[in-house]
Amino acid sequence: MRFIVLTVLLGGSAHAAQLTVFAAASLSDALSEVGRKFDARSGHRTTFQFAGSQTLRAQLEHGARADVYASANAAQFGPLVRSGLVAPGQSFAGNSLALIAPNGSRKVNALRDLAKPGVKLVLAGPAVPAGDHARQLLRAAEQSGVYGPGFSARVLKNVVSEESSVRQVALKVGLGEADAAVVYRSDVTPALRRSVRMVGVPERLNPKAKYFIGVLRASRNAQAARDFVQYVQSDAGQAILRKWGFQPPR
Amino acid sequence: MLGGTLTLFLIVPVLVLLTRGLTAEFWPALASPAVQGALRVSLLSTGVTLLLLVLLVTPVAWLLARFDFRGKAVLETLLDLPIVLPPVVAGVGLLLTFGRGGLLGAPLELAGVQLAFSPAAVVLAQLFVSAPFYLRTARAGFQAVDRDAEAAARTDGASDGQVFRLITWPLAFPFLLEGLVLAWARALGEFGATILFAGSLQGQTRTVTLAIYAALESDLAPALVLSAVMVLVAFGLLLLVRSVARRREQG
Repeated sequence: MRFIVLTVLLGGSAHAAQLTVFAAASLSDALSEVGRKFDARSGHRTTFQFAGSQTLRAQLEHGARADVYASANAAQFGPLVRSGLVAPGQSFAGNSLALIAPNGSRKVNALRDLAKPGVKLVLAGPAVPAGDHARQLLRAAEQSGVYGPGFSARVLKNVVSEESSVRQVALKVGLGEADAAVVYRSDVTPALRRSVRMVGVPERLNPKAKYFIGVLRASRNAQAARDFVQYVQSDAGQAILRKWGFQPPR
Repeated sequence: MLGGTLTLFLIVPVLVLLTRGLTAEFWPALASPAVQGALRVSLLSTGVTLLLLVLLVTPVAWLLARFDFRGKAVLETLLDLPIVLPPVVAGVGLLLTFGRGGLLGAPLELAGVQLAFSPAAVVLAQLFVSAPFYLRTARAGFQAVDRDAEAAARTDGASDGQVFRLITWPLAFPFLLEGLVLAWARALGEFGATILFAGSLQGQTRTVTLAIYAALESDLAPALVLSAVMVLVAFGLLLLVRSVARRREQG
């Protein structure tokens, strides 16, 4: 009986499918949990590749096989829809940025401290969604007039490494190598919170990140892939995303 | 038939790299800041690495070639370890040793040395992974030197310094050169330890391999140009090794 209900609920895919999901690095913890719950309910087997959205996009453009793609911004999602690789998708989660500093370093206690000479700041590269959002934050701060002229340029001068995914950025501060970094709020997981502290960022300057999810047109398990996307957007999926610090899509 | 397939398998990707890289866009892309920065970082860092290898590893190679002591086999095995160790593991080790939170982090910070994300970190990563290549060949070189020639020179009144300068060094030189070329190739190709330990910043720590990786995610042109350059450099290095080895055999 339960099986029949499930089958109806999940759109009639009775056989167990192998699903491959390419997802933005910031989704690592949340989507892994979503995947486990989805597998338990549907009988499918979902495996993930987490990396910077731009890395995943490049891999998909070069023929990597996947069933679902979840990107941390529209810039790395739209082009795949336009080129016909991914079916048009929807925004399924939101996020905002967090400024983090290692517990062991007192150099950065406010956003303005990022411009102080000698601060070692780590950002994601400009093509990485997290890096793009971080640069938006710096531009907004400069335009607010509060942080002085050339704030953005002065901060960018302190960047000591441009990482390929937001989790690599978080790692560098978690290890105490950098004085500060800009990541997503959801990246400050219980594991990371042991070694870093959050530094306040004025809410009006904080850009809103928007995540997109869609099914690959070349997917061999299109039905199961659509079921996964639906499950991510369901109340159960959204509850898991909230738990890991993501915001509702707007 | 199988051999032919394998030969093609090895040759075709290299040819593709050359044909995709060596196009009309080669020169403008070569002049771009991303490519120039990567070449400069790689040349400078590997140059310093080679200098340190010669200064620091040559005496060790000589000692290992000339003296026996307890635990020598163990020591030699440990020194060879980076050859088989995955580079990213080397990176973790360096990070946990020289990083700010690492074993030597606090003393280094007290001494005012900041390695994290600096070009010095790039050199350390290269030194760690390439040293055994030079050490092995240099050790073999010193072992191959005819001890009778050294003894003869000494009987003729040559000092230890003169023996080394006039006999040992010239005879071992082809080996040392071959070891240096191998170490240079390894240092140029270093990726895993560098990206973990030194980070990736254009013009500072982003070596050729890191720049290729970064460019693949946005603008392909620098990646293609740098890949073609690496193929040409690798070819040149191999030619050099062969000619050195031939000179040694005839020598």
